[in-house]
Amino acid sequence: MPLVATRGLTKRYGDVVALDGLDLELEPGVIGLVGANGAGKSTLLRILLGLVEPTSGSAEMFDLDVVAQGPAVRRLIGYMPEHDCLPLDVSATEFVAHMARLSGLPRAAARERTAETLRHVGLFEERYREMRGYSTGMRQRVKLAQALVHDPRLMLLDEPTNGLDPEGRDEMLDLVRRIGNDFGLSIVMSSHLLAEIERVCDYLVVIEGGRLVQSDRIGAFTGRTETLTVEVDGDGAALAAYLRDHGHEARDERHVVAVDLVDRATYDAVRDGAISLGLGLVRIEQRRQRLEDLFEDEVELGA
Amino acid sequence: MPESPAATSSIYDLGYRGYDGPRAGRRSALQTLYASSLRAAFGLGRRTSSKIVPFGLTILAFVPAVIQLGVGAITSGLDANIEIFEHHDYFGYVQIVLVLFAAAVAPELAGRDQRNRTLSLYFSRSLSRVDYVAAKLAALTSAMLVLTLGPQLVLFVGNGMSGDDLGGYLRDSWDLVFPILAGSLLVSATIAAVGLVIASYVPRRSFATAAIIGLFVLTLAVANILMESIDPAYAQYALLTSPVAWEGAILWLFGEQPGSDNVLRDATFEGAVYLAAALATIAVAAALTLRRFLRIQA
Repeated sequence: MPLVATRGLTKRYGDVVALDGLDLELEPGVIGLVGANGAGKSTLLRILLGLVEPTSGSAEMFDLDVVAQGPAVRRLIGYMPEHDCLPLDVSATEFVAHMARLSGLPRAAARERTAETLRHVGLFEERYREMRGYSTGMRQRVKLAQALVHDPRLMLLDEPTNGLDPEGRDEMLDLVRRIGNDFGLSIVMSSHLLAEIERVCDYLVVIEGGRLVQSDRIGAFTGRTETLTVEVDGDGAALAAYLRDHGHEARDERHVVAVDLVDRATYDAVRDGAISLGLGLVRIEQRRQRLEDLFEDEVELGA
Repeated sequence: MPESPAATSSIYDLGYRGYDGPRAGRRSALQTLYASSLRAAFGLGRRTSSKIVPFGLTILAFVPAVIQLGVGAITSGLDANIEIFEHHDYFGYVQIVLVLFAAAVAPELAGRDQRNRTLSLYFSRSLSRVDYVAAKLAALTSAMLVLTLGPQLVLFVGNGMSGDDLGGYLRDSWDLVFPILAGSLLVSATIAAVGLVIASYVPRRSFATAAIIGLFVLTLAVANILMESIDPAYAQYALLTSPVAWEGAILWLFGEQPGSDNVLRDATFEGAVYLAAALATIAVAAALTLRRFLRIQA
């Protein structure tokens, strides 16, 4: 049973086409949704949530139509919006428990799962305090918790790292990955940062201008070529030239030399080159090609 | 992926448990929202400062009834039946308190989720937008009932205690029960619906409060001025748009005539017209509130 299936999904706002005949089929898993601002990511999520209705076309989740069977669909999903959505004058416990109740959990279950879920996202004693005093990171965790508290089959996360500092970003991505991998829930996470998607997701959907650019396993995007980065304590340009002379694709990238990894002979060539040029090898590591490299031309990334 | 600190990750690692228990649907969501909104109306579960205004106004609404209760206690057993405040007058005395309560609480119920942008969380659950409006309207009406029906019941007891024959009083006053119930509900629903519609279109709290007070004061003032200055045969229609419309309906429910100082005395409407005007006000206000929440981007 597909997690999400859309056929010719179109949404127009006046003259603006937010989604333009999107055909998409997704299996359960941790799915990254990438596109520039205005590419249609949020519109797609909002249609799946029943917050806006499509102009034409259809969308199904778990084989249920999101328009005709909206309430049944929405019981199975949790939504973390991009924007602020927390009432700051109540505590995280009270708010998340309220959301659990609205999702249909009985009072006792709501209370119990609220405590567990807030613990899972890393909120402890502070969960009894008014959210007014929370940091951005804590607020993002509460937003995540309210989307998780009713044990949904699928979580829709819209830019979950929005506004976080690098450390908070790492923690949020770790949490999302834990929910996907360890908790076994399906996730659709939107981001304009490919590096984030790459860290967390195993499936990638790229949309642009309301259309599907590509939809595949992450490995299919990054597996085509692999790169070896070599750091030396001397003239990297000379090593790059040596490798090119010996039939390898090599580039001098300021501090390191990047060479396409073909087979074990690539390592041998690096070793031989370093010896013959009298360079010390500081570090050799295999680098998966970054998704950004692949989409430089195709996706104009937002801020 | 950078390692998370060992200490915290070990605390996180309690394992995730799913939930296989029962899940209620729309009805339960509506009830939950109703209950939480009713609590919010009185600031329950919030900091103390949120309770001061609603509780203060609630107490004020009870003051005349409590005075009567005191008088009743003092005169109990005497031959005289002293009624300072009568049921059909009561809402007139506390009218401003009721409007202030709606002005303070409606923005909390209809504007807060807009300000906090929580609506997308509600509407992406099984709750529909219609459910949302129904729950909010029911909650505010119920909160208003505490301030309308509550004092009326105290007054009923107070009047009964005054004089020497409680049993006789209850027998004689049995016909007051329906007007008390229906009148309280009518006043509560009217003020709640008008307060809610304004608050739903004016998310800024202070503006909404001012607008609600302003609307009630203004329509009343306009009706009064018109009744004084132009032919009541025409001016009386202005009465139907103002809070005195419910007053006319209340008098009619209790079978009373407007007093000599009442602006309604010069109007020629049947009592039922006032009732219809109040019901129409509720219907229009509720429809506009619904329209607001059906269209609002969540």
